[in-house]
Amino acid sequence: MATLTQNNLDTLKACRYCPMCRQSCPSEFISYRESDAPRGRAILLHSVYQGGKEFDSSTVQAIYNCFLCGACKSWCSGQELGGYDIPELIKFARRDIVSQGLAPQAVKQMKDSLVANDNTANQDKKSSYTASVTEHTAETLYLLGEGVNYTNPEIAEAFIRILENCQIYYTLLKDEPTSGKELDLLGYREEAREKAKSMAGRIKATGCKTIVVSDPLVYDALKNDYPEWGISLKGEVLHVSEYLLKLVCSGKLKLKPTSDKVTLADSEFLGRNNGIYEAPREVIRASAGEHFAEMQWNHEYLQSAGEAAFTFDGILFDRGKELGRKISQKAEDIGAEIIVTLSATAKNNISATTGLKVMDIAEFAAIQMV
Amino acid sequence: MKFTQNSYMFDMILFELQDIAGKEHVSTRTSDKEVYSIDYFWISEMWHDRQAGRDIIRPMADFIVHPANAEEVSKVLKVANNYKIPVTTWGGGSGSQGGALPVFGGIILDTKRMDKIYKIDEKSMTVEVGTGIIHQTLEWELEQKGLSTMHDPASSRCATVGGFIAHRGTGVLSTKYGKIEDMIVNMEVVLPTGEIINTLPVPKTACGPDLNQIFIGSEGTLGVVTKVTLTIHRLPESRKFRAFIFKDLSTGLRVGQRLISENLQPSVIRLYSENETKEVIKKVLGIEKTGAYLVYGFDGKQEMVDLQMKYAKAIADEEEGEDLGTDLGAEWWKNRYKFFFPPYMFHLPQCFGTLDTVATFSNIENVYNAMKDVVETKYPMARFIGHFSHWFPWGAMLYARFIIETPPEDPHEALFLHNSIWNDALRAAMKAGGVLNEHHGIGLKLSRLTPELYGDAWKIVKKLKGALDPNSIMNPGKLGFGV
Ligand SMILES: Cc1cc2nc3c(=O)[nH]c(=O)nc-3n(C[C@H](O)[C@H](O)[C@H](O)COP(=O)(O)OP(=O)(O)OC[C@H]3O[C@@H](n4cnc5c(N)ncnc54)[C@H](O)[C@@H]3O)c2cc1C
Ligand code: SF4
Ligand code: SF4
Repeated sequence: MATLTQNNLDTLKACRYCPMCRQSCPSEFISYRESDAPRGRAILLHSVYQGGKEFDSSTVQAIYNCFLCGACKSWCSGQELGGYDIPELIKFARRDIVSQGLAPQAVKQMKDSLVANDNTANQDKKSSYTASVTEHTAETLYLLGEGVNYTNPEIAEAFIRILENCQIYYTLLKDEPTSGKELDLLGYREEAREKAKSMAGRIKATGCKTIVVSDPLVYDALKNDYPEWGISLKGEVLHVSEYLLKLVCSGKLKLKPTSDKVTLADSEFLGRNNGIYEAPREVIRASAGEHFAEMQWNHEYLQSAGEAAFTFDGILFDRGKELGRKISQKAEDIGAEIIVTLSATAKNNISATTGLKVMDIAEFAAIQMV
Repeated sequence: MKFTQNSYMFDMILFELQDIAGKEHVSTRTSDKEVYSIDYFWISEMWHDRQAGRDIIRPMADFIVHPANAEEVSKVLKVANNYKIPVTTWGGGSGSQGGALPVFGGIILDTKRMDKIYKIDEKSMTVEVGTGIIHQTLEWELEQKGLSTMHDPASSRCATVGGFIAHRGTGVLSTKYGKIEDMIVNMEVVLPTGEIINTLPVPKTACGPDLNQIFIGSEGTLGVVTKVTLTIHRLPESRKFRAFIFKDLSTGLRVGQRLISENLQPSVIRLYSENETKEVIKKVLGIEKTGAYLVYGFDGKQEMVDLQMKYAKAIADEEEGEDLGTDLGAEWWKNRYKFFFPPYMFHLPQCFGTLDTVATFSNIENVYNAMKDVVETKYPMARFIGHFSHWFPWGAMLYARFIIETPPEDPHEALFLHNSIWNDALRAAMKAGGVLNEHHGIGLKLSRLTPELYGDAWKIVKKLKGALDPNSIMNPGKLGFGV
């Protein structure tokens, strides 16, 4: 069994008997179970790391039921003094579970698929959007991430339309590999680093100076994990929304006005981990102006869309709609007509629950492009 | 429970429960049993904290069931009666009295799936909700429409509406808007034997006893409250606060009493004892003062609030309070929940307890002194602090606390010390005109003292329990009832 770091121990001690952020936890919202709430997870981990118990399979499940969304951190008023970080604690525990050979079957399968196929769901690489692209050197590299690459190519197509319209010479990575982020979140750090190194090599080979990323998980990996693991990238890493804003500000991208009421579903990994809240808003405002409206929950109090919800109760996570409905309901409450999203996961989970138009920030900008 | 998990009778009962609530809503997982064995009761936490290398166990449920509605609750209770299995209702598990702990095993009935908002009636100013809703979730929905229950407890984010009803909970605005029990219009209750009943449509009638009052505060021992209609209010146009330091607690208490008896209708009065002023106020608000910190607040139409603030200040000035101004009052309001988050909140290894009680204005200071005396004299290792936060036309509530920095390492000794302080402090309170509790309830923690509080009247409560719950399945071991 691994030894807890001081930070993880502080989190464990603070959270184990504290129910104060439970109303924000999307996994408890789904199952109603106390073991799926932040306090529950800390109680279980305390029994393991301080109470002398072994990981049993139901504890392992509870640890993999966490969406690593960070809502608990945002809602914690002790945060300013304590810095309690349940997602970090959970990631630590997952690595330990993996090293003890106790990962659930669904997690192992996902890991095998990521290692072999660079995606979580054993999909044939040939079915991805980037299977048919030609890769070359360019100053701008666009990384899609698994969701856009395999299930939502329309997001990539929209962004590419913008790049071409703005006459930006860009490249994609043929058969875009995984960034390693999912592997790390599942507890496979070594495998994640290997993938990260290989991704960094592929990025370097393009000679790019700017790396534009659609997927919040990939963005988070490039921005935070790679430097922490000593993997350096030459280019500047930008999320699509940040890049679009630069295009708008430089006058290269002009957006026509819309009178539709538009709202934004913030991203947990872009927002909570990287503070990206304003760039997408400014892009939307460049078109919608005063028709942009906030939902009740926004910025760090956003409602999680399940960007890192991989497994739940030992099977692949299939309850994204329940998370999506919470968001679309709030958009309907304010009379929004368009919900702009920042990840393929959010787009899919939200659009399945509402008649409102739901589109990625790249699609919104492409539609409004003059 | 008499059936072990490896017997087929266990599986037979499990099957019946799954048939009622759906397979995914019944758990027998070790992880769930473990987490549902700890609520906010210090002993349940301490027992978990000290488990390493010791042969100590916490009582665990056999089944955790998440019913969707009163019909499912009713069926679960019928199964429980058939097999004489204990049923412990669990809301948010934020109760500090061990009320939701399955001390005799059996079924945990988690209410959180019953979380619908059925109707917001802006004409009658009521809201009808499932009692499993986390209170804050309800507030946020109301807030979008400019409404509020005005029930504003520190545990709003973690406790259910049903939990508050079961423990007669209260919030910081209680002085004007009342405790949860004052906000109830009617309720749907599942009786221990499974019948689903509704109390009368409105509470103020001349149609005999008010049935709501049987179930409010009954802590899951007389049935399960599944739905409730609560009163709501429009969010006030203005909310203002002002803070003062008074030379001592007696002066502060007199100011509080005058704010009430001179009909100023404050929504908040919070008065801290001299030592709590030093300790907690400094920790959270960052101000260092000697004396007793008092903050009051008013809400409503701007001009009326200004007038109330003016008259309140005149009283405070007459009593020679040091005016800390409106900013520090507002700062207190802004930070009112912060006290309850780690690291501000007391936590293990500290041993602590909230000895909240209530008494008339004539008795309340004596109650405070009696409790303080006994704790400080008999338990020199303990600190005693207190504040007064809920004020009634006839008296005030004392939120006292004892804190021991380094309680005995041995869990049995720690439990003995903890219980001894409770017994001594509450017996002193009762002798001086106080009661066992004001808004946290009795639970397991104070169960042993309840017959003592009621005296001969306890017979009535026991008979009521016997009549409603003939097999004594509902939350055994709590609220003064045995098994
Ligand atoms: C940080 C913190 C701050 C707190 N601040 C306050 C405060 O300001 N004001 C206050 O009043 N309390 C406060 N409390 C105490 C606690 O929140 C209350 O006692 C609350 O009423 C418990 O609600 P719950 O849903 O968590 O109930 P639980 O702890 O789950 O259950 C409490 C009791 O109610 C019974 N019960 C629950 N639901 C039902 C139901 N539907 N029908 C019948 N019985 C039921 C249970 O069987 C149990 O006996 C605080 C607690 C914490 C952790
Ligand atoms: S993150 Fe903060 S609010 Fe949540 S359980 Fe931990 S200490 Fe409590
Ligand atoms: S990270 Fe998200 S899912 Fe995990 S405990 Fe915190 S709030 Fe819940």
